[in-house]
This record gives sequence, C-alpha cells and structure tokens, in this order.
Amino acid sequence: MRRQQTWRWIVLAILSAAFIALIANMGIWEASLRYLFPQESQVLHPRASLLTLVVEHLGLVGISSSLTILIGVPLGIWVTRPGGRNFLPIVTDLTSFGQTFPPVAVLALAVPMLGFGLMPTVVALFLYGLLPVVRNTIAGLSAVPPHLLDAAYGMGMGRLRALFRIEIPLAARVILAGIRISVIINIGTAMIGAAIGAGGLGSPIIAGLVQDNLAYIIEGAVPAAVLAVLADQLLANMESSFAYLPEEATR
Amino acid sequence: MIKLEQVTKKYGETAAVNGFSLEVNEGEVCVLIGPSGCGKTTTLRMINRLIEPTSGRILVNGRDTGQAKPEQLRRSIGYAIQSVGLFPHLTVAANIATVPELLHWDKSRIARRVEELLTLVGLPPAEYAAKYPNQLSGGEAQRIGVARALAADPPILLMDEPFGAVDPLTRERLQTQFAAIQQELKKTVILVTHDLDEAIRLADRIAIMAAGKLVQYDTPETILSRPANKFVHDFVGTDRALKRLSRINVERFIRPAASVALSASAREAKTAIGGKRSAWVVDEGGQLLGWIDKASLSEATSVRQAVVALDTKDIALMRCATLREALSRMLGQGLKSIPVVDENSRLIGEVTLGDVEAATAEAEE
Repeated sequence: MRRQQTWRWIVLAILSAAFIALIANMGIWEASLRYLFPQESQVLHPRASLLTLVVEHLGLVGISSSLTILIGVPLGIWVTRPGGRNFLPIVTDLTSFGQTFPPVAVLALAVPMLGFGLMPTVVALFLYGLLPVVRNTIAGLSAVPPHLLDAAYGMGMGRLRALFRIEIPLAARVILAGIRISVIINIGTAMIGAAIGAGGLGSPIIAGLVQDNLAYIIEGAVPAAVLAVLADQLLANMESSFAYLPEEATR
Repeated sequence: MIKLEQVTKKYGETAAVNGFSLEVNEGEVCVLIGPSGCGKTTTLRMINRLIEPTSGRILVNGRDTGQAKPEQLRRSIGYAIQSVGLFPHLTVAANIATVPELLHWDKSRIARRVEELLTLVGLPPAEYAAKYPNQLSGGEAQRIGVARALAADPPILLMDEPFGAVDPLTRERLQTQFAAIQQELKKTVILVTHDLDEAIRLADRIAIMAAGKLVQYDTPETILSRPANKFVHDFVGTDRALKRLSRINVERFIRPAASVALSASAREAKTAIGGKRSAWVVDEGGQLLGWIDKASLSEATSVRQAVVALDTKDIALMRCATLREALSRMLGQGLKSIPVVDENSRLIGEVTLGDVEAATAEAEE
C-alpha cells in the first residue's frame, strides 16, 4: 500500500518536471505548431511566453481555489454544528446559486465594481468553485455515524476535539474529493479571465478566436488540459496518502 | 456511590423518565432492564449528562453531577455502548488510549495501560494493538469497547447493552469474562439490557423499569422468587425456577466422583465403581477422558476396551459454572450426572440431577 503510494508520487513528479521542461522550451512548440499549421504567419501568441502564461494561470487558480477552500470548508463545518444548523438550507441554496450563475455573467457584473484584471476573475472563480467544496464538506461530516460521536462525547471529548480528532479525519476523503472537483473546474473556467485582462492561458485562446488562428488556441488549450490532469493526480494522491480510506484498514 | 433522586426527563409533554430514584452501592453491578421505550437508556445517559434531566438530582460520590463540567465528569466514568463505537480510523491501541489521552497521561504510561487492558480482556497485545477496528470480529470489538471504557480506571462504568450485537455463544463467553473481570476490579457498574438472562447472570441488583418508572429494585433471587406485581411476574416469565438456577454456582454441589484410571484392569475397575453403575475414566494425570459402564466391564478385560470417550469440552463443567448450565448439559447429553473439572481438565468431582432438583426445591421456599 505504502509503496504503491510512493510510486504514484514519483510518477507525478516526473510528469510535472517533463511538463515544465516542455513549456519552458518555446522552440519545440514553435516547430511543432508550424509543422501543423504552415499557413499561419505566426503560431505563438506574442504577448508572453508560455511559461509566463502558465504561471499567470496557476496564480489565478491558486488564489481563487485557496479562497474557496479557506471559506468553503469552514462554512460547511459551521452549518453542520448545532449553532449553525439553521443556516444549512440557506448556505446550500446560495452555493448552488453561485454555480448555476455563469462565470461570464459574474464577470460582467463585477467589472463595473472591481474594474478589469485579476480581482473580478478571482471573485467569479471563487463563487463558481464554492459549491463542490461546501457540498462535500457537509456530506462528509453528515456521513460520520452518530454512534461514533456518542462514544466520543460519552468518553469526555469536547465538541472541538471530536471535530478534529473524529469527524474531520473520517470526512477528509469526501472533503478532498470536493476540493479536487472544484480545482479542476477552476483550471478550465480560469480561461475566461483573459477576456477582462487577467492573463493566463486564456489569452492565446481568445486571441486565436478573434484572429481565427487555430495555432494560438492549441497553444493555450493543450497546456491547460495537461495542467488539469496533473492537478487531478496531485489531489488524488493527497486523498489516498492523507485521508482515511474505509477499505485501507482491511488490508 | 451513585444516587438518582426524583429524576425526570420530559420530551415535550411526554415523560421518558418520570420521578426515578435509585441508589447503587459501590462495587455493585446494577442492571437496568425493561421493555423497549421504558427509559432505561435515557436514565443511563443522564448519569454522564449526555442527556440533561428536566428535573431531579444525580449524585456521584455525594456530588451533584449537575455542578460538574460534563467533559470532566465523563472522563471519570467509563462508557461502553452496544454499537461499540470504535473509531475506524484509529488503531485498537489508539482507541483504548482515548480517555488517557484526554487526561494527558504521558506516552509510556498509556502504552503500558493499553497492554495491560488488552491482556485483561484476553487479546494478546502484540497481535491486536496495531489492528484496525474493521479487522476485528464482533466479539473482539466489544471486548475492545469494554477495554476502552476501563482505560483510565474509572470507578464507575456505564454500559448500554455492551454484549448486544454478537451471537448468543459469543455473548455468553463475553458475559462470563465480564463477570470475572468485575470480580477482580469491583467497579460500580450500571448496565442496561433487555435480556433477562444477562441481567440475572451479571447483576447484584436488578432495577426493572416500565414507562419511565422504577417497578422493582432487588436482588435477582428476590425478583425471581417474589415479583412485586403482575408486571414483574409476567416480565420474568413462567420459567422462573429455571432462571433461578443460573444464579446458583455448582461449587457448593460438587460431590466426590468414582473414577478409574485408563490403565486399570477390569477387576480393579469393578472394585473402584463399587455399588454404582458407572464411573469416570481419567488418565494418569487425572485428566478426564470419558466414562465406563459397570455392565460393559464383564465382557472386557481392561478399562481401555470398555471406555466411552467423551469430548470433555462439551460435557465437563468448570467450578464457576451455574446449575443451569449443569442441567442443560444433563438434558442435552442424557446423563444423570455431569463431571466438574479444573483449569487443566482434571476431574474434581460431579454434580448430579438429584442435587439440581434439591437446589430448585430449596430456592422455591
């Protein structure tokens, strides 16, 4: 079991290193895109290097996902406590609303208030990614069998200790699954940030759409897809390394 | 030690427990029993304040539990429940260490205590400490549950159907083990069950509850021989005489038994059996092997030829067994007497059907 996990981390590290090496080497991109699209006069987006775009993109996702986790998980915990239980329906409704509301519409509404660039994009991504995190936190905590809490309280654990020692470890897997979904969605959705000048891998795609340059679109889309796969693997590894798995103990 | 004074718990208009008073002496096992919904679990959970009483007082060692901090109170009271509630993400050792950790014991003391407790409940520490709860059988899990409740050596133990979720055979074994542990530790125990046999077996005193009220609080013997009213009478059932037998130890009824060695000749055997019709057969070390019929000796030349081998485990009783077990084996095996053996299955004596009948008649008076 442990060895298998070590291997998964090693594979992930190798793939990530390969990915970084590839995007740092613009020559390869230029050559292969030129081969595929000989008719285009320019195959690489001139605004910034691919590495810069990826870093910008990761920045967008990083800030918005961190916000989502930092606010979503405590929110999910709060509404499953006796003190916050009354707010459970409101919170689930609001987070559902956040996801049904298209991010593009959020951008349109946010720009007049927050201006162009990073801020409105982060707000849109944060709202859009909140639902899976909050929902899974609630689901994971609600799935902790009541008799375990009865035992915990009955032996003299306080509410806070029972939360951190029993409830969160048992719900960790479901909570992490929610975070994983949210981050993956964010990597894709962060593309729209480019429309209002937040940069990222959306820049070549939007430029490609405007100028009808397929090479630009590929330049933005392929790294974003690889980024999503790598992030998915990273979070999956974290899930199996740190979270309690019901079937693990039977081994 | 534990005193409940006019305790009432109301849910809306209905009272789950109604003006309930009870006193449990130190070192005694008090069993709360009654039909479903009679308020026995509610009563138990009010003692460690998992449920707050609507009115009334609960005193532990003369101190009002209502004044104590609930968490502090609970750490000084062992708690074992039917569903066991072992934490699935923690090892057996970590589960047992729950309360000692809450009390900030140092690591080496906790480790020693865990080992001690696993040994106490009969599970080898080397094998079990690192296991996870879902690697345990139902019986093992319940034993860990009891070990966890005993971890910080609390003077009081609250148990809510602690042997409920296992098969009857395992349950009986767990009860026997619990009785032995209790004999040694002398905790003040309040145990909730709906199994009357369990109550009779384990209790020093039984509190029978109905509709949130105490109906009778007495020793098992008194409850069986003098039920307070028709409810108790019906509750204990028509086989009271049989149930009473499970309160009587065989020890008092063991009489010397005729035995012959396996190596003896037929002639020696006949002299040893004397006027009786049969005798138990033992090996040189005195271990029980089977029995022999005097009539069959006339055709055989040695004991070895005529012996009827027995599976000792199925037949023989230990000193700590009850007359009820003795009777059940007599009926099951069609024997008029049952051998009693020590820990090394050496023959000590026997208990006869006549003795069981006499004991029944004696208890009836």
